[in-house]
Amino acid sequence: MASLFKRGGARKTAAQTERVREKLHEGFLRHANFRWLKIAVALCLIVIVTYALVDVSPRHNGGSWLGYTLGTIGALLILWLTLLGYRKRRMTRNFWSLKAWTSAHVYLGLSLVIIGTWHTGFQLGWNVHTLAWALMMLVIVSGIYGVTVYAMLPAALSNNREEMTQMQMLEAIRAFDRQLHEAGQPLPPADAAAVKLSLDQDPFAGGLLRRISGAYPGCATAAARRVIAAGSGGDAGARAKVETLLDSKVAALGRLRRHLRLRALLEIWLYVHVPMTFALIAALAAHIVSVFFYW
Amino acid sequence: MTFILRRISTTNSGREIARDTALDGDRLTLGRAAENGIQIEDLAVNPLHATISSADGRSVHIAAEDGLGFDLNGRSATVADVDSQSGGELRFGSHRLTIGREGDAIILTAQRIGELSEAAKDRDEARSFSLQGTVFGGKRLGAWAFAALVLLAFLVGPIWAFRSYQGVDERPEGFHADSAWSSGALSKGHAKLKDDCQSCHVQAFVAVRDSACVACHDDSHGFDHADVPTARLLAAQAPPGRGERVLASFAESFNKPKGRCVACHTEHEGAGAMPPTPQQFCSTCHEGMAARLGTAGLKTALGDAGDFGASHPQFKPRVMIAPGAKPAYARISFDARPADLSGLKFPHDVHLKAGGGVARMAMSLSGQYRFESAAGGKGLQCGDCHVATPDGVRFQPVDMEKQCAMCHSLTFEEIGGTRRTLRHGEPAQVIADLSAYYRSTPPARPIELGGMARRRPGQFAEGAVYNIYFREVAVRPTRASDAVAAVFSKGGACYDCHTIFAPASGNDWRVMKVHQADRYFTKGWFTHNKHDTFKCTDCHDASGSRAASDLLVPDVKNCRTCHVGESGQTDPAIQVVRNPTVSSCAMCHEYHADGSAPWEPKVRRTDVRDITALPPSSLYIASFRQVGDKSWHRAGGG
Repeated sequence: MASLFKRGGARKTAAQTERVREKLHEGFLRHANFRWLKIAVALCLIVIVTYALVDVSPRHNGGSWLGYTLGTIGALLILWLTLLGYRKRRMTRNFWSLKAWTSAHVYLGLSLVIIGTWHTGFQLGWNVHTLAWALMMLVIVSGIYGVTVYAMLPAALSNNREEMTQMQMLEAIRAFDRQLHEAGQPLPPADAAAVKLSLDQDPFAGGLLRRISGAYPGCATAAARRVIAAGSGGDAGARAKVETLLDSKVAALGRLRRHLRLRALLEIWLYVHVPMTFALIAALAAHIVSVFFYW
Repeated sequence: MTFILRRISTTNSGREIARDTALDGDRLTLGRAAENGIQIEDLAVNPLHATISSADGRSVHIAAEDGLGFDLNGRSATVADVDSQSGGELRFGSHRLTIGREGDAIILTAQRIGELSEAAKDRDEARSFSLQGTVFGGKRLGAWAFAALVLLAFLVGPIWAFRSYQGVDERPEGFHADSAWSSGALSKGHAKLKDDCQSCHVQAFVAVRDSACVACHDDSHGFDHADVPTARLLAAQAPPGRGERVLASFAESFNKPKGRCVACHTEHEGAGAMPPTPQQFCSTCHEGMAARLGTAGLKTALGDAGDFGASHPQFKPRVMIAPGAKPAYARISFDARPADLSGLKFPHDVHLKAGGGVARMAMSLSGQYRFESAAGGKGLQCGDCHVATPDGVRFQPVDMEKQCAMCHSLTFEEIGGTRRTLRHGEPAQVIADLSAYYRSTPPARPIELGGMARRRPGQFAEGAVYNIYFREVAVRPTRASDAVAAVFSKGGACYDCHTIFAPASGNDWRVMKVHQADRYFTKGWFTHNKHDTFKCTDCHDASGSRAASDLLVPDVKNCRTCHVGESGQTDPAIQVVRNPTVSSCAMCHEYHADGSAPWEPKVRRTDVRDITALPPSSLYIASFRQVGDKSWHRAGGG
């Protein structure tokens, strides 16, 4: 009996721990008390110490037994890290949680800096081998950026949203547009044209640069606001109403644009990380084939 | 005349609702302002935009006011006439006005087309709010494009270059795509091959073979490790570590044979000259090699050698063990106290003594032969007789006519100031010359017998003189054999230095042939000119040598007082200078041993001042016997 109770107690404690974890929202960086960070650090230390102890003549290079070992580990690791893209699209209860997988992806990916660089024996040049190394570093650096923005930007994103959904932000602009259209009817043609430009401007327009910088110097709503404020004539009441509505639309647009900027900053690294990963795998293939081709 | 305005609006569910309003009169105004007959709530429409009229109730005349036009059937216009029967479509801003006819009435159908604003358009949330569409190509296209580009440039290109020049002796200069595969610059000697990968990588997926090296390097050395069978070289190697074993099995399974030239001559390790050969390069095989070869059933005469300071076998100089016309040589370790039997008799101690007959004679001849030391009464020096070879590496053999003859004259007659000398090295000639001398020259004629000299007055013992003289004349030729015997016998000119064979069984007097060794260390390299800051006696204890058979060449202990191996280990029985020269194997030994000087890097690695500031030579040589005496350190002011 006693043992039964004991087992029950253990299960209860485990469940509590799990609940505490859920409560604290343990992110992928802290997953399982930094398990993968520890593994990655241990891996790096083993590599560095082995490298220092092993005497390779005439000097360390990718073709020594240590070089081949590190190269093989590195190449397999790169392929496994790439599988995250596949794993995250598959809902499964097996093969670790996605969080564990991501945690391992980040820390083992970082350890590739050591494994890959020490594999080169610090012999870099203008060749396919160094290209593979450079692409790997580019992927890792973009990944570091990604982890950093994932850690820092969601709070800003949340603050900016003020509990609005994305579509609500857009809906607000649509509402102001409808009201502007209504209120702008009495305006003289020049003013009406300015308001019309504001309505006709796509809030999602502007290229990558606009998205990242969050600066929209060609904003038609801001321009309309200036035109209405400077203009005169026509229905003064309508003008004042349009002016107020334009102020509101500028604010709503500002929120949307900040949102788009943060999302762009959160996403942009993937446009380096993913294509460069495939370029890296191609370079890796060329690197490996070349080594055996000119054996 | 009636116009019917039919407004069509769309409900949220997409259903269209039409509302008709009858407008009386022939003329209607159209615009954004509320006063207009047809009000179009569209900011792109002017407050009073156009007038629509019909004079006959059939044809409709549209005229734009105030500059802004409209579209008629897709073409912009400012004035238009439309037959209501055939109909027409007008466009004002975002509104469409269709003209038609139902019965007598002209129907004007107004409908908003397009959204009120851009924001109002239907949107895919996931796409609009993300970066999709703002980055050209997106992630997927980018991934494939970059991957394809890399494969094309760095895999297809190089293989193409390889295929194009397969079987071609030499590639044309210029860029070849497979140079992107070069893992590092080639060494200085191979630099010109950098664009011609195939000069070494002859076949795809086949490791570089020795045949590729030999294609250019076809010169053969003397003894060369490269000529040793690969199996023997491999058996000599120290057993590899675990990692090396894994690599070796890996290499073997991937068709990479062991023991190739490139196993040691690694390439693509960066531009520059050949690096100095590290000690380990040799010691991995030579340390403990005899046992390993023994295990493999192979034999070797070589001693195990590792670090010079700690584990180097005693030197084995090549000495003459049997002198003569065809001397026998053997390499004998210093530990076995070898003697060098050159066939010569020569006591160094007598010649180098500061006092005594040799020193006195040298002093008297010092003006003639520039015996500097002897002029000061200090006797002869090594250099008075031993002359270095032009390259300064070794010494020329001592020449009897040039060196010994300075003191040891072979003159036997002087005629009018010209000396006649016995021919050195030709005993038969010596015998002939002496015989001829005694035959052709009578004894000096006495005055009494009518010589040219002045006579003494009176007849003094005339008969006795006559008898003596003419008897001497009669027997003189037979005296030659005595003279010859005297020259070759003890006390004679030849006998002092040479081993003489007395006449026997038909042979006349013979002299044993003398050979002087030009090199004792045939397996190692030593150069005197690198040691010119020393005195000869620092290494060669000549002043104590009483016989020519004494081997005055220093042994390994002597060298170890200044030279240590890369590990810096020293023999505790040897007193080593303060900053000994770190000497790897390659300082004295050459891998492709061809008897010439080993290659050495340009930079001298050790400051030699501590070495040249040696202890006094007497102490230094004595140090072999008086181990542990370090008094010279203090005496030297160190």
